[in-house]
Amino acid sequence: MAHIGGVGPLSSRRGQQQETSVVESHFQGLLGDVMVDDDRYRALCGAFGYLQQQEWPDLSSACYAGFGAPVPGVAQETSNGGNSFSCSGSASSGGGDSRKRKPDSHADAKKTLSQGDCKRTRGKQQQLCDPDQNAGKGKPEKPRPCTRKKPEVATAGERTDYIHVRARRGQATDSHSLAERVRRERISERMRYLQELVPGCDKVAGKAGMLDEIINYVQSLQKQVEFLSMKIAASNPVVNFNIVDDLFGGRRPNPAMALPLHGQLDQSCLQISAMQQMQHPQAAAFGLEMLVGNQCPPAQSAAATPASVSAGASVESCLDVNGAAAWGIGSQNLFAGFDAQFQSVQSDCLLDSLKMEM
Amino acid sequence: MSSRRSSRGAISEEEINELISKLQSLLPNARRRGSGQASTTKLLKETCSYIKSLHREVDDLSDRLSDLMSTMDHNSAGAEIIRSILRS
Repeated sequence: MAHIGGVGPLSSRRGQQQETSVVESHFQGLLGDVMVDDDRYRALCGAFGYLQQQEWPDLSSACYAGFGAPVPGVAQETSNGGNSFSCSGSASSGGGDSRKRKPDSHADAKKTLSQGDCKRTRGKQQQLCDPDQNAGKGKPEKPRPCTRKKPEVATAGERTDYIHVRARRGQATDSHSLAERVRRERISERMRYLQELVPGCDKVAGKAGMLDEIINYVQSLQKQVEFLSMKIAASNPVVNFNIVDDLFGGRRPNPAMALPLHGQLDQSCLQISAMQQMQHPQAAAFGLEMLVGNQCPPAQSAAATPASVSAGASVESCLDVNGAAAWGIGSQNLFAGFDAQFQSVQSDCLLDSLKMEM
Repeated sequence: MSSRRSSRGAISEEEINELISKLQSLLPNARRRGSGQASTTKLLKETCSYIKSLHREVDDLSDRLSDLMSTMDHNSAGAEIIRSILRS
């Protein structure tokens, strides 16, 4: 009972001791019951833990009484006392840890209450019991809270003070940990939601990977929007512009393609593919993917295709629009040579024009 | 506690925080607010709505583009090409 000295400041509260002792007895009764059923115990704790924390022992005791919890045999409780002692040590430091486990956080309230008791009981038999019980239980954390409350019976009077103090402290950590838990839940909920929004995000494991994916996706979307609006703003009847625009419009519904490609790369690739398709309309059937590489053979065989004549008009129009000298070279090559080097020259031209457009 | 967490997962807390702040810099709201680091919960919420608004914007823009295209001369070579591209 040396601990009482430490409790000195609380002595003003002793008036409530009797009430609390009643509560404790109910508690213990509960514990005795619940020892068998952890879940049930936790539910009770969740329901009534706060009452006690709020220092309404009367209410909580009433609740417990209403619950019909039998007043426990002291023998059982003392045997469990060992646990409670060890638990109390972890309970104070464990407040932060309890975030992830709801039941635990609720149980904290109870733990704190019983902590004072545990210390008192330590001296008696509990220290002996502790190691055994801890070792025996698969999940040490959960069972502990239950056992802690049992030792209270022995020194009910003094405990009340402790209970209040501990409860207060516990209250702080408890609300803290509860809030933290809620926060974490909300975060993971949002992450799940984002996972649905962002394509390919569900394949990535881990928070960091998901965040990476989300960042990439947002960036690509931003670029897409920027580019689209720029194109629309500058949109004019010239065919070539519309081709590029439509390429992007057509690209959008294909997220697999939209994700890996970004900005300039996208644009140049798509423009190239547009050019290739101009002189080789049949190639369009192969789809954008084939053309993106710019190494596709169709351009080499383009010389033979009659389509080049019809493509000439649009190429010239784009030359006018861009006003780039480079385009002149490009189109000259286009019409004069159609040699194998055409592709590289063309891509250069396209990059130049792209820069101008940007 | 943090040490325990970091030892548990391969990703360190700092890494996550870095990513979070990077994500925050992408959001227009975050830039406007400029008040340090908002809560992760809020940030993720904003990201959700921002992505949705971006989706809407892209849809809207592509709608306008398709409108533009529909006003084009259907017989022109360009329209032909566009059609073939869209088909693919």
